[in-house]
Amino acid sequence: MAGISLDNLSFKYPGAQDATLSKLNLNIANGEAHALLGASGAGKTTLLNILSGLLRPTGGVLRFDDLDVSNQQGRERNVAQVFQFPVLYESLTVAENLAFPLKTKKLQSKVITQRLDYICSELELDELRSVKPAKLSLFQKQLVAVGKALVRPDVSLVLLDEPLTAVEPRVKWRLRQTLRRVQADLKVTMIYVTHDQTEALTFADRVSVLTAGGILQTGTPEEVYASPEHEFVGHFVGSPGMNFLPANALGVADAERVGFRPEWATLTGNQPSSAQKRGHLHGSVLRIRVQGAKAGKPFGLVTMATSQGEIAIRGYIPDTSITAGDSLGVCVHRCIGYTNELKVSDIEFL
Amino acid sequence: MLELSNICLRSSDSVPFIHTFAAGEISVVLGANQSGKTDLCRLVAGLNTRASGNVCLVGTSLDRVSPRRRPVSMVYQAFVNYPNLTVFDNIASPMRARKQSSQTIVQAVNDLAEKLRISELLGRFPHELSGGQQQRVAIARSLAKQAQVLLMDEPLVNLDFKLREALEVELRDLLRATNTVVIYTSSDPRDAFNLGDQLLLLADGEKVQTGTPLEVYQKPNSMVAMELLADPGINRFSRDGTSCALRPEHIGVQDGKITPAGLMSFDMLVTAYETNGDESFVHGQVEAQEWVMRSRGMLPVHAGQRLTVAAASQDVVHF
Amino acid sequence: MSSFKPQNNRAWIGVLPVLLVVAFSAVVPLMTVVNYSVQDILDFNTRFFVGFEWYQETLNDQRFIDAFIRQVGFSLTILVVELPLGIAVAKGIPKESRFTPIILILLALPLLIPWNVVGTIWQIFARPDIGLLGVGINALGISYNYTVEPLHAWLTLVAMDVWHWTSLIALLSFAGLTAIPKPFYQAAELDCANRWQVFRHVELPRLRGVLIIGVLLRLMDSFMIYTEPFVLTGGGPGNSTTMLSQHLATMAVGQFDLGPAAAFSVIYFLFILLFCWLFYTSVVRTDD
Repeated sequence: MAGISLDNLSFKYPGAQDATLSKLNLNIANGEAHALLGASGAGKTTLLNILSGLLRPTGGVLRFDDLDVSNQQGRERNVAQVFQFPVLYESLTVAENLAFPLKTKKLQSKVITQRLDYICSELELDELRSVKPAKLSLFQKQLVAVGKALVRPDVSLVLLDEPLTAVEPRVKWRLRQTLRRVQADLKVTMIYVTHDQTEALTFADRVSVLTAGGILQTGTPEEVYASPEHEFVGHFVGSPGMNFLPANALGVADAERVGFRPEWATLTGNQPSSAQKRGHLHGSVLRIRVQGAKAGKPFGLVTMATSQGEIAIRGYIPDTSITAGDSLGVCVHRCIGYTNELKVSDIEFL
Repeated sequence: MLELSNICLRSSDSVPFIHTFAAGEISVVLGANQSGKTDLCRLVAGLNTRASGNVCLVGTSLDRVSPRRRPVSMVYQAFVNYPNLTVFDNIASPMRARKQSSQTIVQAVNDLAEKLRISELLGRFPHELSGGQQQRVAIARSLAKQAQVLLMDEPLVNLDFKLREALEVELRDLLRATNTVVIYTSSDPRDAFNLGDQLLLLADGEKVQTGTPLEVYQKPNSMVAMELLADPGINRFSRDGTSCALRPEHIGVQDGKITPAGLMSFDMLVTAYETNGDESFVHGQVEAQEWVMRSRGMLPVHAGQRLTVAAASQDVVHF
Repeated sequence: MSSFKPQNNRAWIGVLPVLLVVAFSAVVPLMTVVNYSVQDILDFNTRFFVGFEWYQETLNDQRFIDAFIRQVGFSLTILVVELPLGIAVAKGIPKESRFTPIILILLALPLLIPWNVVGTIWQIFARPDIGLLGVGINALGISYNYTVEPLHAWLTLVAMDVWHWTSLIALLSFAGLTAIPKPFYQAAELDCANRWQVFRHVELPRLRGVLIIGVLLRLMDSFMIYTEPFVLTGGGPGNSTTMLSQHLATMAVGQFDLGPAAAFSVIYFLFILLFCWLFYTSVVRTDD
């Protein structure tokens, strides 16, 4: 196990105009569960390949603890990887698959048995030991792939490349739970690469949001969600993302634009035509999306058109008779001010 | 209006069912993998399938109509486009097949491209596009056929999260504006609310329940129906010999020791906590059952903790 | 309850032409041979039903048994050589290089040469007096003359077949190898697998499908080999390179023994069928 540090790490594909990754700086603590969150094309895969040793950085340094591994082969780094779809040795049984990375390391058979027992009980794979991968469900296969990554006692880093893609939605959270539990038990450094914010935020201790080859923010899921440092982070994290309006729409003076989460605002019924108050808006309903009901009261998402742009508001739907086209007031409780896309202020309205 | 009767999605002994899909609405067909969603689509499209039954469109039987003559178009999970044709030609292909005038075609393709925000891509080839763009082209092509029935078999499953979110909203507005029977299959309960006007729940090749998403959500007719529309699962318990269940979002942490009237309280041993920012999930043990609680925002909760959780009695579903 | 599926009924009409073609191309000629194989034909009007007499005679014929053993030995030998060699060649082809297409075309060249031309090429190439190969081997101090030594003739035949057909296995294997997703290699690299382990546990299991096709093709094809040994050695020296097909041709065309030749043909056909079936079922069964 190791702490990972990226020091001005850059990468440019030969012949490419722009660098795919430019001067990334990131420290991941030993035993941390870290998520790299970004859309396709943000450079996630390139970074992943640099971490696994498939690509060499064209600038900067990659360190495992204090060791510069920038030019080491993948096999020298003790890195394990779980891929988007289950990658197993198809001619070997589950137990043989799990033992494979140990056997190549020429470990004693006693150690191998011990590790195997441990991993099998941790991942509840005992009953599948003598089964070939072809007979397993995708969930089980991916579980074995995870086991194969964790089985080595000396593994310094486990990379997870969207490991839940192939798994059925219904069991995704179970695999994620297992991963999280094992990660906490074994204190393995893990880097989870994904475009799915739910996966990133639920899995990780800390999240880095990546776009166009740069890291915009690194922080705990709470920080990334509740106070995005960059407008893109606010937009990308959260479903739907942050609402952005010109700052004057909410009467905020010290920023260019303001952003607020859909649940940081409530619908207030029809707005009296009094002078504009700070944090108050009005607009007309575009769509109502009911997402459920609690104690008989429906809740969901209401999209509104205001004079300055479209916004979404989440919460209880105050009056079930509202329909598209109705004019309603909106009261924003909190917002974040941005100038040049960067956070400059955090405002709570009274 | 598309009427299905005598539908058997599995060749074996499942009970045949009837269902009617209305035009101008999006009907979400929700079911787990292998529940027969794709078979249903293939049956309507007239393609080879193990499903059987009668398909009737606005009073005319389609049973003896060959797939290519059916007024049905389909969008698949994989991004299916003609690789050798440009985006423009891809979208135009169903109209050319019907020998429409080139002026009409140009007009219609440009309209569709604008609606799906791919106008600037018309000259490119599918392999030069991203996954989201390819699926937009496939959707535009299926709309260009101007079929009376549009089948969408988990079309957004393979897309990035944010793209999916954006396309869902666009699709909903776009499809509602056409007077088409839209059948959208999914295994994700969120799609039911995000897209569906009507819902058809399938399990093991059989019809479980139908209604608007909110109706099915509030009055599920069975545990299976409740579970299908639950994110991420349901919480079971029994009271006075009847089995009951609660949805994850209906449970909350109880503040004081005393349970207010109209609430039921439970002791929960927390086994795991996860959050995605706007929501958090607390997994735990309640009365020897695996429970999960979903709440807004974040909670100061950690594994190993004992919690008193409560839910409104009116949210409990009895079976 | 009606469960009418229009496409199923129409599918039969679609299959009909194929059935007719198969009937004319395969079943009718085959039946003619079966008919001949149970009769003794003296002339156009004189024929006797002899039952399985020709079959018994053929199976007891020492020349048939010898040819059969030679045939099986030959087919197995070329498989044992061509399979590993083909895979090795495929592994040597770079996957993403601008030379890859050129290499593939060069590899495919032997496959494009007609059988009798291959025979002729090797007939000249291996001649100890003027052929490059023959002269070369003799120059190394090894006495080599395929026209005289049965073993030399046999080895030359194997070498020729290997030259002609290894490309097929190589091309099939190359197609199989390129279809393996990269993460499989990457995972093996991170598992510190050596090259043999990568081959044994990643590549070989994924090549299984194409190799089954390759073995079936080569097995059927080598069992039917006729032109090349006919041109190269004429089946000699002695009968050392007389394979089943050549033996059959001698009987049917040379001696005009139509009855025994027909019985032979049927047995021959059944053997090929049996071999392929045995191979296929044994492979499929190990699947479970």
